[in-house]
Amino acid sequence: QVRGYLEFMQTAQRYHGRPIFALFCGDKDAEGRSWCPDCVTAEPVVRKELHNMPDDSVFIYCLVGDRTYWKDPNNEFRKNLKLTGVPTLLKYGTPQKLVEEECFKADLVRMLFTED
Amino acid sequence: DYDLIIIGGGSGGLACSKEAAALGKKVMVLDYVVPTPLGTSWGLGGTCVNVGCIPKKLMHQAALLGQALQDSRKYGWQYEEQVKHNWEVMVEAIQNYIGSLNWGYRVSLREKSVTYLNSYGEFIEPHKIKATNRKGQVTYHTAETFVLATGERPRYMGIPGDKEYCITSDDLFSLPYCPGKTLVVGASYVALECAGFLAGLGLDVTVMVRSILLRGFDQEMAEKIGAHMETHGVKFIRKFVPVQASMPGRLKVTAKSTEGPEVFEEEYNTVLIAIGRDACTRNIGLDTIGVKINEKNGKVPVNDEEQTNVPYVYAIGDILDGKLELTPVAIQAGKLLARRLYGGSSTKCDYINVPTTVFTPLEYGSCGMAEERAIEEYGKQNLEVYHSLFWPLEWTVPGRDNNTCYAKIICNKHDNNRVVGFHVLGPNAGEVTQGFAAAIKCGLTKELLDETIGIHPTCAE
Repeated sequence: QVRGYLEFMQTAQRYHGRPIFALFCGDKDAEGRSWCPDCVTAEPVVRKELHNMPDDSVFIYCLVGDRTYWKDPNNEFRKNLKLTGVPTLLKYGTPQKLVEEECFKADLVRMLFTED
Repeated sequence: DYDLIIIGGGSGGLACSKEAAALGKKVMVLDYVVPTPLGTSWGLGGTCVNVGCIPKKLMHQAALLGQALQDSRKYGWQYEEQVKHNWEVMVEAIQNYIGSLNWGYRVSLREKSVTYLNSYGEFIEPHKIKATNRKGQVTYHTAETFVLATGERPRYMGIPGDKEYCITSDDLFSLPYCPGKTLVVGASYVALECAGFLAGLGLDVTVMVRSILLRGFDQEMAEKIGAHMETHGVKFIRKFVPVQASMPGRLKVTAKSTEGPEVFEEEYNTVLIAIGRDACTRNIGLDTIGVKINEKNGKVPVNDEEQTNVPYVYAIGDILDGKLELTPVAIQAGKLLARRLYGGSSTKCDYINVPTTVFTPLEYGSCGMAEERAIEEYGKQNLEVYHSLFWPLEWTVPGRDNNTCYAKIICNKHDNNRVVGFHVLGPNAGEVTQGFAAAIKCGLTKELLDETIGIHPTCAE
């Protein structure tokens, strides 16, 4: 689990060479609730499918920041990782990703984890 | 098991599957890419997405940008750097985009509950296919109706060394190294488009042509395309055919004249074979279930509802005998077929007056008949051809040719000067032609054209 763009990139680099899946969500408050309602829906769906990831995979759960940071069109996630929405579940280094409501569907999540 | 099984996940197959699924049917799509002799393969989406229209247009654009950079100095842009092109950067960016399209189709099929198998499908008995995946695992599936949408693959020359040393368009768009000095064999639009953008990227390109350019296209336009490419650095060797490719050190091609004993020999970095494409119909068990194909070209004859001689088997796309090999045609045929089968529709695909564009360095857009075809159909005396050279305004400042861009319309004198052929050679020909295609569908005549006021300053006016 990481928070912010820098931490995400450092962690991804550390696991270079292994399949990396990342779920990007809005920050959580003191009670553990995200400001992003779709992220609240998606997280349990994604976590339930984690066992389908290939051997040697790494799963990075990344909190992107608060709502204001996310809304800024120039934030690093938008600019460098080309994220367009949260939640986003992606296979790092490939064009394969699921965005927003796509993350609610267990079979799509499973497809992302098992597709080669 | 299924209402509909479609063999082939390209433009036609995917369009048909999504439409049928939207109409509530249980659909399966099989897509499998047999690797090229060099081992190249690709994902879901068919030729257009992976090794056709999409990467072609992007590489054409890369070449056009090179030309634009040259023009830019005349427009006042000043920079010191000498501009060079990096092949690997371009290929990576294009392949990334294609990868997102492959993934997009996977998600799309999943969301519409279409079953997708990355397996090679073949008929083993009526209504039943055998599906073999990459690992050799076999499954069997049955359906009430089948659609063949297997498309085509590049043809090789059948000469020593062709498969070992030469590449085709299947390999070009993901080539991990810059092709360098290239020989393109063929005079199809694939050959000319590829030769065109490779030259535009700064490479040394030669095109070897057996006889004419762009067979089947208007020959006046074809020759103009060739002439333009020649003045812009593409070398043409006409009336020669390769007889051998070997690799004594570098890649060497030996060719013979079609008109005499003359022999030609030269070394290249890359030889790209683009002499034609063959339908993938020979090894899918069609003979087992009695589907007739045209033995000469392997294509499938169908009636005007895309039905083969076997009532529960239909076919769409490039494999159709006597029909146009174009993505939008396949998509339209696929969608309408699904609607006729499951949606109670009776609309058939209209193959008349389909517009096309060849994306050579100077683009060629057309809709309707070539001049030769129109003469054949109506007789020379019954036709009036109106034509004009034009000089795009954007070409004036950089001093580009003023005698090159050309447009003509062929009109039927006995039908109110109805436009039966529209041809334009110039920048953005595809964008220009699309609108005229709609006008032709509405029965465009010379008079209507004369009454339509132009948009100034444009090429289209």
